[in-house]
Amino acid sequence: MTHRADRDDRTTGSTATRGAGRRLRSALIGAALLLGAAAGARAAGNPGPAQIAQLIHARHEHFHALGKTFKSLREQIGRAQPDWNLVATDASQIERLATALPTWFPPGSGPGHGVKTRARAKIWAQPQAFAAAAKTLASRAQDLAQAVPSHDPGSLRLRARALGEACGSCHHRFRAHSSWW
Amino acid sequence: MDAAVEAPATRRVRVWDGPTRLSHWAIVSLFGFCWWAAKSDHLRWHRIAGYAMLGVVWFRLAWGIWGSQTALFSDFVRGPKATLRYLRKLLGRGGDDAPTPLGHNPLGAVSVLAMLALLVSQTTFGLFAVDVDGVASGPLARWVSYDTGRRFAHWHATNFHLLLVLIGVHLCAVAFYGFARRENLVPAMIHGFKAPASSAAAPYFVSRWRAVWLAAGILLAVVLLVNAR
Repeated sequence: MTHRADRDDRTTGSTATRGAGRRLRSALIGAALLLGAAAGARAAGNPGPAQIAQLIHARHEHFHALGKTFKSLREQIGRAQPDWNLVATDASQIERLATALPTWFPPGSGPGHGVKTRARAKIWAQPQAFAAAAKTLASRAQDLAQAVPSHDPGSLRLRARALGEACGSCHHRFRAHSSWW
Repeated sequence: MDAAVEAPATRRVRVWDGPTRLSHWAIVSLFGFCWWAAKSDHLRWHRIAGYAMLGVVWFRLAWGIWGSQTALFSDFVRGPKATLRYLRKLLGRGGDDAPTPLGHNPLGAVSVLAMLALLVSQTTFGLFAVDVDGVASGPLARWVSYDTGRRFAHWHATNFHLLLVLIGVHLCAVAFYGFARRENLVPAMIHGFKAPASSAAAPYFVSRWRAVWLAAGILLAVVLLVNAR
């Protein structure tokens, strides 16, 4: 494999292509590692330190995307003339992320594994309570996404508030700090 | 200083006017309230009290320019030389003929400036702060990105700890004056009068209406700011 790649590089001879190829290759390796980490975590239940770091990093990125998208959506529906395409994109991304949320917490990705995380051990100690909180979030995100075609800012604002409360109440119980820090 | 203890209530001089005292205690109570509201996740109350704090801090700044004599920055802020001279006198080293001011002393002036600077920063950071969910946020957070808003929230937290440190220093200074120099500063900040040992000239005071108009203007400005689109 490596041999062939090297020969390809030599035949094209362009540094730009080689750079792009290298970037693509590292992206593929990264993706494979992430997939491997997730699969390994699920299969063994005891991910290694590098995998834990990756899992926690990925989780952090997901929550970052969720918060960022929600800020964007809330600002749009607070406007006199919302950009409905943006609202629809944001709402469907929020729905997708909120539905996927329970998969971001595989066993072994909590505190006390050498990687800093604000996820509390309670998540794994009380899996049913956590699952119920995640379900509330997902259903409220669905409610929000379903209301987008109505183009009714009032109803969307109410649903967004309900969704925000789901974030806050879950963080209150399962996050080491409240939503502020 | 001992004369004040030996001959009580010989001569009472008005030192702090109402607006200055009110600002001081409003800042104390709003700080406590904001702290509690943030700790207990009452972000709505935290925000409202924060707007009040913003107004009070602005008012104190304005009162430092257009207020009564002891409140004026031009009256109590001194250069580094005068401050060092005062510090030496305070520690009992080196004589200084300059009478101790009735209001803020040169060292206290540094503390006032630092406190107001931290409070201005704190309220400004709060205006733009965003929580992790992108839900609860300062009134001007829509002017900044999520990441910038998060940065403001972290500055808000760091600056809060600096404020705690400075408040600790302030309380230690008050205790030092009380125990080491037998000068209880607290009652004067409540009723406004001091019984000075030296025969310093009584400060002048401006009309209370000036404070009312300033406060009304600042209230309007704060309301406009937090509702800005």
